[in-house]
Amino acid sequence: MNPKFPSALPFTGSRREFLYGLGASLGSLALTDILASESPLSPKKPMHKAKAKNVIMLFMEGGPGHMDTFDPKPKLQELHKTESKLTAGLEKGFKFYVGSPFQSRKVGNAGLDMSDQWIHMADPEVADELCNYRGCQAESLNHPEALFHMNTGSRLGGDPAVGSWVGYGLGSENQNLPGYVVMTELALPQGGSRNWSNGFLPAHYQGTRLRPEGSPILDLDSPSFKSREHQRRALDELAALNQKHAAANPQHADLAARMENYELAYRMQMEVPGVIDIDSEPEHIKNLYGLDNKETETFGKQCLMARRLVEKGVRFVQIFSGGWDSHDYLEKGHTSRIRSVDKGMAGLIKDLKRRGMLEDTLVIWCGEFGRTPDNNKRGGVYSIGRGHNANAMTMLFAGGGVKKGSIVGATDELGAEAVDCVHPIRDVHCTILHLLGLDDNKLTYFHGGRYKQLSQFGGQIIPEMIG
Amino acid sequence: MRSFLYALLPALAVCSAFAAEPTDAERLFTLKVQPLLAEKCFGCHGDDPEKIKGDYDMLTREKLLAGGEYFGSDVVVPGDAKKSAIMDTIRWEDPDYEMPPKENDRLTGEQIEHFAEWINAGAPWPSDDVQLAIREEEAKKEVTEDGMIVKTSGGLGDEWTFRRYQPEKIWAFLPLTKPSLPGDSTGSADSTNPVDSFIQAKLDEAGFEPAPEADPRTLIRRATLDLIGLTPTPKEISDFESAWKNDSEAAWTSLIDRLLDSPRYGERWAQHWFDVARYADTGGMSNDYERSNMWRYRDYVIRAFNEDMPYDRFVIEQLAGDELADNSLRSRMEGDHAKFVKARAEGKYTPEEAEKMIATGFLRVGPWDPAMVEKAEARQLYLDDVVNSVGQTFLSTTMRCVKCHDHKFDPIPTRDYYRMYATFAGTQIAERTVPYTSEENLEGMEESKAIAQRLYDYATKEANALRNKRETAAKKWFKEHGLEYKDNDARKDLPDEEKPPRHVGLSIDEQGQLKVREQDEWIWERRLERYEPLAQAVYNGPDPKYLNARKLRMPKDPNIKDRPENFILTGGALSAQGEKVQPGVLSALGLPVEGAGKDDPYVIPEDLNGRRLSFAKWVANPENPLTARSIVNRIWQYHFGQPIAGNPNNFGVSGKQPTHPELLDWLAAEFMEKGWTFKKMHRLIMTSQAYRQAAHHPKREYLAAEDPDNALLAYFPTRRLTAEEIRDSLLAITGELQPSNGGLPVMPEINMEVALQPRMIQFSLAPAYQPDPTPERRNRRTIYAYRVRGMADPFLELFNQPNPNDSCEARDSAAVSPQAFSLLNSDVITDRSIAFAASLKEQASEPAAQIEQAFLRALGRKPDEIERKRLLSYYSDMEKYHADVQPESTEYPKEITRSLVEEFSGETFEYQEILPAFENYKSDLKPADVDAGTRALADICLLLFNSNEFAYVY
Repeated sequence: MNPKFPSALPFTGSRREFLYGLGASLGSLALTDILASESPLSPKKPMHKAKAKNVIMLFMEGGPGHMDTFDPKPKLQELHKTESKLTAGLEKGFKFYVGSPFQSRKVGNAGLDMSDQWIHMADPEVADELCNYRGCQAESLNHPEALFHMNTGSRLGGDPAVGSWVGYGLGSENQNLPGYVVMTELALPQGGSRNWSNGFLPAHYQGTRLRPEGSPILDLDSPSFKSREHQRRALDELAALNQKHAAANPQHADLAARMENYELAYRMQMEVPGVIDIDSEPEHIKNLYGLDNKETETFGKQCLMARRLVEKGVRFVQIFSGGWDSHDYLEKGHTSRIRSVDKGMAGLIKDLKRRGMLEDTLVIWCGEFGRTPDNNKRGGVYSIGRGHNANAMTMLFAGGGVKKGSIVGATDELGAEAVDCVHPIRDVHCTILHLLGLDDNKLTYFHGGRYKQLSQFGGQIIPEMIG
Repeated sequence: MRSFLYALLPALAVCSAFAAEPTDAERLFTLKVQPLLAEKCFGCHGDDPEKIKGDYDMLTREKLLAGGEYFGSDVVVPGDAKKSAIMDTIRWEDPDYEMPPKENDRLTGEQIEHFAEWINAGAPWPSDDVQLAIREEEAKKEVTEDGMIVKTSGGLGDEWTFRRYQPEKIWAFLPLTKPSLPGDSTGSADSTNPVDSFIQAKLDEAGFEPAPEADPRTLIRRATLDLIGLTPTPKEISDFESAWKNDSEAAWTSLIDRLLDSPRYGERWAQHWFDVARYADTGGMSNDYERSNMWRYRDYVIRAFNEDMPYDRFVIEQLAGDELADNSLRSRMEGDHAKFVKARAEGKYTPEEAEKMIATGFLRVGPWDPAMVEKAEARQLYLDDVVNSVGQTFLSTTMRCVKCHDHKFDPIPTRDYYRMYATFAGTQIAERTVPYTSEENLEGMEESKAIAQRLYDYATKEANALRNKRETAAKKWFKEHGLEYKDNDARKDLPDEEKPPRHVGLSIDEQGQLKVREQDEWIWERRLERYEPLAQAVYNGPDPKYLNARKLRMPKDPNIKDRPENFILTGGALSAQGEKVQPGVLSALGLPVEGAGKDDPYVIPEDLNGRRLSFAKWVANPENPLTARSIVNRIWQYHFGQPIAGNPNNFGVSGKQPTHPELLDWLAAEFMEKGWTFKKMHRLIMTSQAYRQAAHHPKREYLAAEDPDNALLAYFPTRRLTAEEIRDSLLAITGELQPSNGGLPVMPEINMEVALQPRMIQFSLAPAYQPDPTPERRNRRTIYAYRVRGMADPFLELFNQPNPNDSCEARDSAAVSPQAFSLLNSDVITDRSIAFAASLKEQASEPAAQIEQAFLRALGRKPDEIERKRLLSYYSDMEKYHADVQPESTEYPKEITRSLVEEFSGETFEYQEILPAFENYKSDLKPADVDAGTRALADICLLLFNSNEFAYVY
């Protein structure tokens, strides 16, 4: 502490003693007792042997085209611009097939399919870690509902997010950081913070958004005219004021929790800037994530931050990256989107692997739905893009106990619909929980008169995905 | 039991199936074990031969005994439950085989015992005929040890229709009779508040003493926050304390009267209603369109509370006010249909009629947007939402479960869900022309309109420039190709060769910009509707041809001869039409619809007009056992912080049962007898000793062990202030709170990073949030703040303001660390502390006196000697600190550059957005505007705002 800064008056000894030193006068419900009891975020044992401990979920908002990324459909190239009679999707009127503007090739030893836009992901060191799942089906054709469904298990929004359920089930390894961290672009995805809300679970499990610009957590820092020492002194004065009140209201257990929260907030103020300060990373790591390039920098930075957070004990990290909604100008759109995430993702997987963290970190790459093999005209012209497709999509998984170098499930030859190993979103959720050592049927919370669970009414594990 | 509780029996053929009288074990199997097998086991072990799990089929005795992949013939050992492996699995004693695997399906202890008993009896499995005979015999009995049969319109199967309920579990559906008061324990029966008789009886039973009475300062803070949602002023406190010394009873009752007479009362209690009804000013979903003039419904509710509108009327107006208003208008037009239609279109309603029309805002208040959804599905989304919301709000009944199947626990068949659905099937939502009434506040319209007009003009100007650029290029193209120019719309369907490329002449950036500007044109055009006399209301008629939440208007003369067809939708799917249904009500309550036919008294006549009114009257009927119980339970909850029946939105079997059922019934009956008035109920509850007791108890350790949830109310429950109470009280304490009489929503200052952060909507970014330019408008109570579904005020959200998409039956108040950030560091709180300090400086000249006033105004007490000394020293240290630090002055942007990833290109483009609100912005007092002493005092103010003493109410 700055020696010139006036510190609080009469207390010596550690802060904790100061805060809780009057415990003796508080009777048996002393604050120290409450402190000793489990905090809602204390680490909890999994229900069964877990393959993964942490999750990093890369969410491609807008819905990437599966046929333009990891699930090639040569048939579409043949049918390009010929009339489509498919009826699914929202597009009306004359529809025509759209061939992917990209070539595809087999990569790695396992021979996964990737469109030629993927350069870094195609590196066998990365590609052979992946499990490409093609059997998932969504239910909604509209972005916010589909986003809610993928993120919370319910189309309606307002239910707890996957990350909240995981926090509820496993707690957090680091009490000075939030257990569930969300990173977005400057613009929030459709549906906003309800994509990472705690829903009916206690508020401790809500996702905390690390903002890409300005204050990483809203109001994390004091106003600029208040120094750190100023803040510390204020907290000490507050503690003194609260102390008197606590002594007069010994029956009231919430008081201690709220006091402890101010101290936690203070510790977070110290810890968060350190975690997000990626300048301390060596150059070669920064380059690995693509921080040396304007196109890849934003997402790469977030991927690097995700690794640092997981390293520090954050349980669930989610990154939203938008712009995948290519109804038109598919080639330009997807080229630029793929380029923006390719290096960061690949760097993340490599870095986790090299640090021995990939084994127990589950990395997920997905959108809220896939895209249609056809499109309608826009403004009267053949617009080369795709509509929303709830019947087919593509997802990638890496680490955390998934089957390496595998393709699970299949879509039909046009990519219109999943046809093999077909599962609804809830089954993917159950599988994620399973890998984390949690049983969806047991991970319940009594609310509104029934035991609620992530899958709503129960689901299945997809054994084919598990290594 | 009343006569509606009888077993509805098909004429039974005389059974010859009884070769011999069935044994008890056979009866046990048929009535207890078999239904369990069917409900909990066959799903994975029998129903679908293709999908038998673990190779274990339980469909017949033989298969059941044979076992499967994991267990052999030891799975069930007839005559010996102990040796039967199945018992371990259903007891969840074997961690590898916990059956049924879902928490929700887990068997109860009693059910497990039935299994054991049956196995011990040799696991008999009578033939289907014998089972049928046993069931039919059983169905003849009205009440058995398994409970009673509730007559309903009938489930999808007999098993459901004739299932039994324990009366105490379905307490809420049974008729309400006013219980007599419990025997008086003190011998002074006459003076005891009936509330206390019931509370005391339970305490006596448990052997608890009630807590002593709270001190007057605690009481006035408790009552003031409770009734008006603000902390009491120092003068109110000292006046009350002196009056209390004179005559505590009189002081207390006159305090309650004063608070109930305050217009702030309605502002507070309407908030409770909106938590349940889900008030917001926008429609949510991807477009999140503004619902112009939704505030008229908000103010209607506030007025209803202030005027103590009887609750039955409040119910009817919100559900069918449009029918009442139009009936009244029709009769004023003396049956001349053409005249009526014209008057309706022109909104020639009297103020009384207008008020009723506005009340139907309730039916518009949920999130809904038909964008990107088929029309039929969009209507289904609306109707499901209304049915569910009406069930939760007025009847404390969860309807969502009954959409797909007969209720798992409650006596509500899916048929009744679709009857209720049919009741609303002709209800169409629209902005209707309804004249403003003299009670509605129209101030600020001109200023607000001017800003909206500027934003609209700006969007149009920018869009026009881009459109002109495009058309200039298009003209050039047509000329070059020797073709005649056609404008953008006209050339749309031409073959590609005969027209220029789409977006000709526009760069990729400009294409994106045009899309944003065109979206902004819609948004501001819609915003301008605010200034027209429209109300968010409903009408009766067929589904309109198109649904677009941007504009929903009523046709001039909708065809009310239309009879929408409604069906039971199996599994909730539109495509799975089952049996046809008529409009109707919940049959399990045994309360017929007024004027209904005898053959089915729970069906509402099919006329489109009158359906909802019939339904509304049925809800508000004093014989309806749910309605009054539902609302008195909520009133109690808001007074005590905990309800009598633990799930105020769910009185069903799965909801928490009431802690004091007789009290609840007594209050409900009393509420109706006294004319359904809230204010009488408040007086009754608040004058009880239970309400006036202290929040601490001499035997708290004992109670913490015996009654950890304080269910018996041996002491008064403590609660944290709600988000609105915090913000409103802060403004009141600092002297910044501006009185309001409702009207246009106000835009408080919110975290500027959030205000200006981009927010995705359907096709582009939502416009930035701009606070009102003057403190007079923006520093009003939170209930008047513009509520955007897609963007919460981060301060309020942190303090658990509920998300308006879901009905909130009880507020959460978990302490999380971001609350500390917000209450210590945010601009909003810094501004409050500076304003408070500046006001204290005016009030007193010396720091000691200023600190004393700060305590009085924020906490309602003087600091003690230790606090005074400590804070004086803090003050002087901070004054020195601040003397060396000059805060930066606050700049508000008048324009911002936004960027968006364009779907066309996947590339980022930028555009400018103007922020006219900041052009003549009158900011609140900022740290840079005041001297070091004021900032030091503000540090102390900030402490008080963060203190637990401020945050909790005892």
